[in-house]
Amino acid sequence: MILFDRVSFSYGLCPILDGLSFSIGAQERVAVLGGSGEGKTTILKLIMGLIKPDSGAILVDGEDITIKCEAHLREVRMKFSLVFQEGALFDSLSVKENVAFCLREYTKMSEEEIDGRVRELLRVVGMEHALERMPDELSGGMHRRVAIARSLAAYDPLMFLYDEPTSGLDPISADMICRLILELAGGRRGLIMVTHKVSDALKVADRFMFLKAGRVLFDGDRERLVRSTLPEIRMFMRELECLSPAE
Amino acid sequence: MKSKELVAMLQDFYLLSFRGLTGIFRRPFYLKDTIEQMDYAGAGSFLIILLVSLFIGMALSLQLSAELSRLGLKMYTGKVVGISIIREIGPVTAALVFAGRVGAGMASELGSMVLGHQVDSLRVFGVDPVKKLVTPRLLSSLLMLPALTIIGDAVSLLGAYYIAVYVSHQSGSVYWTSIRDVLIYENVVAGSVKPFIFGYLIASVSCFMGLTTRGGSVGLRQTTTRAVVFSIISIIISDFVLTRILLYLLGFSV
Ligand SMILES: Nc1ncnc2c1ncn2[C@@H]1O[C@H](COP(=O)(O)OP(=O)(O)O)[C@@H](O)[C@H]1O
Ligand SMILES: [Mg+2]
Repeated sequence: MILFDRVSFSYGLCPILDGLSFSIGAQERVAVLGGSGEGKTTILKLIMGLIKPDSGAILVDGEDITIKCEAHLREVRMKFSLVFQEGALFDSLSVKENVAFCLREYTKMSEEEIDGRVRELLRVVGMEHALERMPDELSGGMHRRVAIARSLAAYDPLMFLYDEPTSGLDPISADMICRLILELAGGRRGLIMVTHKVSDALKVADRFMFLKAGRVLFDGDRERLVRSTLPEIRMFMRELECLSPAE
Repeated sequence: MKSKELVAMLQDFYLLSFRGLTGIFRRPFYLKDTIEQMDYAGAGSFLIILLVSLFIGMALSLQLSAELSRLGLKMYTGKVVGISIIREIGPVTAALVFAGRVGAGMASELGSMVLGHQVDSLRVFGVDPVKKLVTPRLLSSLLMLPALTIIGDAVSLLGAYYIAVYVSHQSGSVYWTSIRDVLIYENVVAGSVKPFIFGYLIASVSCFMGLTTRGGSVGLRQTTTRAVVFSIISIIISDFVLTRILLYLLGFSV
């Protein structure tokens, strides 16, 4: 579904991605791992067409999105649901209005229907008690859960994109978000989760890509990730080794 | 800044202000956002415009009565005050107040939306940020600044009347007659074309600065400062150019 073909990207003179190539199928559950500032968020923005690469092609369902204009990108963006790292809720709107945003934008639902749907979505993420609160009154984990609910509201995405959904959260919230992510994908829809936490990646994904210096350093399944002898990956895996020294 | 970047920036600015303007006539219409903006820009600026206009009218009247009575031309106070307020001072003052209050507000609001990825969120949901954010602000400025200017003009003239009659002891009827003489077609047109242009400039400059915000809280500071500074500069320069053009078009000789 997604194909990166020798994609390079730089901010000003600072190169971020350097001839990155990979492809991801529509039903795959992929975790993109990598240190901070390796360009993980940049990849998600490229997939959504929010930024354009310097060179290379990005194909979504066989169509090159790098040559599309903003108006045509809309259809491409509707295939995905992206939850930003920070949640990026509209901070002038209440939780309810945030979740209702797309419903108001794309549907002609009545006020009661919208209210019902919003409650239903917030129940899925366990946030129905915060209906009338404002985003700045929410904690990090609540923020992300509302953002996930919002991204589900109006349309049915083919694939979910999450940018570090668990970073900065306590283990219980993080675990809950991981389970939510799995539940939403439900076996038939794909997801890409960007993260630097191997433990969370292992809960969610079955394919792992490791990013280093703008290239894919490692791409493989769980088995190969755990066995990998690449020093960078071993450094990341150390997080797990502390937990269960037996392994 | 390199000249190439400057040209690219100007191009982006023209594109944004053009698309913002044509957005008024393209679906979808964000009526609720527009009304909210009109409330913020118009009703919210009402009191401050009232206050500023009142005192400017009084100060102008005081100064001119003093000067003109030395020349024995006190009865011209109304005419001079009227022309300067309706054609120049009224529109420019209202625009400057508007730039400081509303322009800065727009720029910082959009800037923090950019920094919080909220603008990217809009794009992710397939919503055009220009239509959703810029057009309502542009439209509200286009409608509200002229309205505020007219109100401000009226209040200034009242303030000037108060000083002329009760402080400088001139005849009230002479004052109002000269104001009525000033309110001819040419002056009214000249005075009411300007706020439309100023409103357009303030909103598009401020939205452009807001949407191009980069670099955290320092970036936001820069955005707000720039929005106000560039708005003020463009108001003052375009005021001169407009005065020149309008005088020419309306057949005045200088
Ligand atoms: N708007 C920007 N302007 C300049 N540099 C940026 C910008 N956004 C990100 N970067 C740089 O790009 C690199 C990759 O960023 P990002 O994709 O956000 O990394 P991460 O893997 O942590 O998500 C970082 O080194 C960052 O400094
Ligand atoms: Mg990131």
